[in-house]
Amino acid sequence: MVAAVVHLPLLIAELPLKSYDTNFHIFFASHYVHHWFNPWNTKWFAGFSQTTYPPLAQQWVAILSWILGLNLAYMAVQFAAILLLAWGMYRFASLWVHPRAASLASLATVVLASESFLIYNAGQLATTAAAPLYLLALPYLYEWLRFGGGRDFIKALVLFTTAGAVHHATLIFGSMFFALPVLALAFMDRDREESSAAGVWARAIGITIAVGIAIGLVLLPFWIGLFRYPVTQTPIPHQSRASYILTPFWGINYFLVPYGAMILLLPFIIIRGAVVPRLRPLMLGFWVCFLVGLGGTTPVGLWLLRRAYYVLTYERFSYWATLLALPIVGLLISDLLARYRRRAAIAITILAAISFSVAVAWTNYRPTDDFAFNTDAVAEWLNRDGHYDYRYLTLGFGNKLSRLAIQTTASSVDGESNSSRMLPELTKYGGAALTSAKYFGKGGLESLRAMLRDADTYGLKWVIVRDPYYDPLLHFTGWRQVDELDYGAVTIWAKDGVPPAAPVNQALIPPHWQGLMWGTLPVGSSILAILIALIPDQRRRRMSEDEEDAAVMPISQQNTVSGRMVS
Amino acid sequence: MSKGTGAVLAIGIFVVTALLLVIGTIWPVPTAVYFAGGEKGTTLHSASTPEDAINNLGAEIKLYEWQKAYDSLANKAEFTEPQFYHDITGYFESLRTFATLDSVDIQPLHQTDSDAEMSVTLHWFTVLGPFEDTRDVHVVRQGDRWAIDWPIVKEQHVPPQVIAVNYLRWDVIYRGPGDDWGTQNVQGPNVRIVDMHPVNRAEGTFVMGELLNQDVVPAWVSVRATLIGKNGAPIASAGTFDMIDHTLLPKQVTPFLIRFPNVDLSQVGSIRMDPQAELVSASADPVIEVQNQKFNPEGAASLSGQVSNQSGQVVNFAHVLSTFYDNNGQLIWVDGQYMDRALLPQIPVNFNIPVPVDLAKKIGSEHTIVATYSTGGSYL
Repeated sequence: MVAAVVHLPLLIAELPLKSYDTNFHIFFASHYVHHWFNPWNTKWFAGFSQTTYPPLAQQWVAILSWILGLNLAYMAVQFAAILLLAWGMYRFASLWVHPRAASLASLATVVLASESFLIYNAGQLATTAAAPLYLLALPYLYEWLRFGGGRDFIKALVLFTTAGAVHHATLIFGSMFFALPVLALAFMDRDREESSAAGVWARAIGITIAVGIAIGLVLLPFWIGLFRYPVTQTPIPHQSRASYILTPFWGINYFLVPYGAMILLLPFIIIRGAVVPRLRPLMLGFWVCFLVGLGGTTPVGLWLLRRAYYVLTYERFSYWATLLALPIVGLLISDLLARYRRRAAIAITILAAISFSVAVAWTNYRPTDDFAFNTDAVAEWLNRDGHYDYRYLTLGFGNKLSRLAIQTTASSVDGESNSSRMLPELTKYGGAALTSAKYFGKGGLESLRAMLRDADTYGLKWVIVRDPYYDPLLHFTGWRQVDELDYGAVTIWAKDGVPPAAPVNQALIPPHWQGLMWGTLPVGSSILAILIALIPDQRRRRMSEDEEDAAVMPISQQNTVSGRMVS
Repeated sequence: MSKGTGAVLAIGIFVVTALLLVIGTIWPVPTAVYFAGGEKGTTLHSASTPEDAINNLGAEIKLYEWQKAYDSLANKAEFTEPQFYHDITGYFESLRTFATLDSVDIQPLHQTDSDAEMSVTLHWFTVLGPFEDTRDVHVVRQGDRWAIDWPIVKEQHVPPQVIAVNYLRWDVIYRGPGDDWGTQNVQGPNVRIVDMHPVNRAEGTFVMGELLNQDVVPAWVSVRATLIGKNGAPIASAGTFDMIDHTLLPKQVTPFLIRFPNVDLSQVGSIRMDPQAELVSASADPVIEVQNQKFNPEGAASLSGQVSNQSGQVVNFAHVLSTFYDNNGQLIWVDGQYMDRALLPQIPVNFNIPVPVDLAKKIGSEHTIVATYSTGGSYL
């Protein structure tokens, strides 16, 4: 209910549309609406395969769009992710702390600044939808490791697979930061249950293999694409890799805003996590994730991730770090409430409200784009008089590039999905979307110049400009302004002698069987996850009784008991 | 026991975290250096040497931290911060206005305990490609730090005057505002390639030549070349891109250069040239005069001179294109340079176009034209 009260108005107001990536996800969903079994999308990069990005969240947007329309369908999926996070956090936190603290951790997810930052500023639907599924899977992993129940194995397997179908990176890095602490916890609790270490290890290896096979199968077209065309493109600069000390602005953006008031608790998270032996794996997982999430502030990210460091962005690591910290935060809040009661409640509520509000409002203080810019006129222009026979390129459109692609039937040589790009003009220089070329310095402008140079190859006839910065380049390289829209705010430039767009990248088109797999297995895994959630969980009920017994004990005594368990 | 272990663990984590933060700040990872101002250093270095002072200034310029950069200068009393800013970015909209500093090269010329002379080359990158700005900089010691005497280039002023404009102008009336380029149903102007010469170089094959507008109306032109292999199959196709003046007035000639990187001329059997021309509105104004043109064949060969804007309007962007001929009048090279500052009325601006050393001795004459683009601003 709290999640609905807090987030529903913001989502119904479609606030996430102001974020960086929301339009990107809606664009992918719009393709699934029309071509569910054909992942080949001709609207970007002169043709690309959507099997380059895990599809599940976008497919659910597509399904719901038949009732709600694309924008509200996106909001509905995002809202479901918010609700699932509260549920997932309760179950995950229950592994580590008493139910009251777990409830408080669950409640904290509703106003978690890092979650709000990703939803309303970054627009990372996949990350925010995969994390709760992963959290829901972890308690089943724990129970499988300790007790070896087949039902827990199946539930963990299906939920992990579903999480992977939403966002593969969450699964890969989640294993390091989330699953390893749970594995360690299973070992620590093992003595009490008289379960052998070899048994835990065998079950850990067993489920790792099973999840690997399941994810390999569900996302097979993705892995085939990755194997055939590994990521070799020049890394694109991202500000989350800056040092937040040397460049304080990015520290505000990627540390102060996402962590919010949790920064005040960081020392206590470490201290409590270190002092209580049973929390140590969780605290260590948080600590490493926290360090990686600091981007270029410390060398840890580069040391651990090597080349992947230059490809990944680090706001999601901060998000995961806050999720890992929440059980301990719940414990700390529980202590504060027990000791200071109303005063603590008021202070915590105020701090949480400020953190949440700043994270939501951050997109207004530092807009990702000109929200008022409407692409309707541009789409209407592209969709008439055979203009769609040629490819186009936008300059200065920001993430409205995706919105325009939803509206038009014309094909662009540009696009926002960096991992989907195959054109050498885009992958060679270290720039992201051409529409924002100037923000990527030399690499971005070199990439743009290369694309303009090869315009004939791709049937690129139209350049649609909303930033006069690029006008001199177009003038001197043989383009000529032929029209203007929105009273001159948008100008259209053309090049003579360009042949109509012909199909390119034909070799990259996934075969039909891959389209069938892509259209059935990911969404099938999510339906299976919904069905197994309906199966009663006897073991979990037994654990809840234990937890209820623990919850009535004084907090200090619980810590002692926890410590005794592993000593 | 457990609490003691926990305390040690917590202290260890705090210490290691602090150490990692210190390491990351003193020896930042490459991405952190990039966002903190450049490849050669960060703003955190104290200016304990003349080189540090210059690198720090470069980092501050790269981060657009104009006030910090200005405050670090030894001679800041001689000019204001806006003057310093405009010296770097241009007083009028130009290539400099949106340029990004890529790197800084420093060449020591002379140094004592109290001062130093350095040749500083700022490598800029712009939407039209790179340009360099080389200045001799005087650096002075101030206590335990060094500071720069910035050699400012102050804004030049044109005396008040009236300039009569009586140049020809051609307007074209289209069918309507929605009319598309290329669908005018009007025959294109008559243009002709009057010279074409392929040359093989280490970078690949270059096709250069000259294009004449032999019509009585202006033309928007470009040239496309297709290299045909000895077996008759096309090898590669490319256009002139920016190595041409796309607007040709009647009877005007433009040089052009088409690059085919990594293609050896020995593979080529023939070349198919495809000039294109469309009717466009055009004006003979602004007229840019090329003055004091001089070819320097010795050392790093180059063609230098000045371009002067003869009109009363500011020309924001100018591309100088030079054609080089041998003693027999045969075209042997085409090259160009974008002017990094706006061309103000009546104020000459220097240009310098490098020429490949191996061609320098063959050059007998040269011809220079200037393509321009203005954003519509006037000189006030």
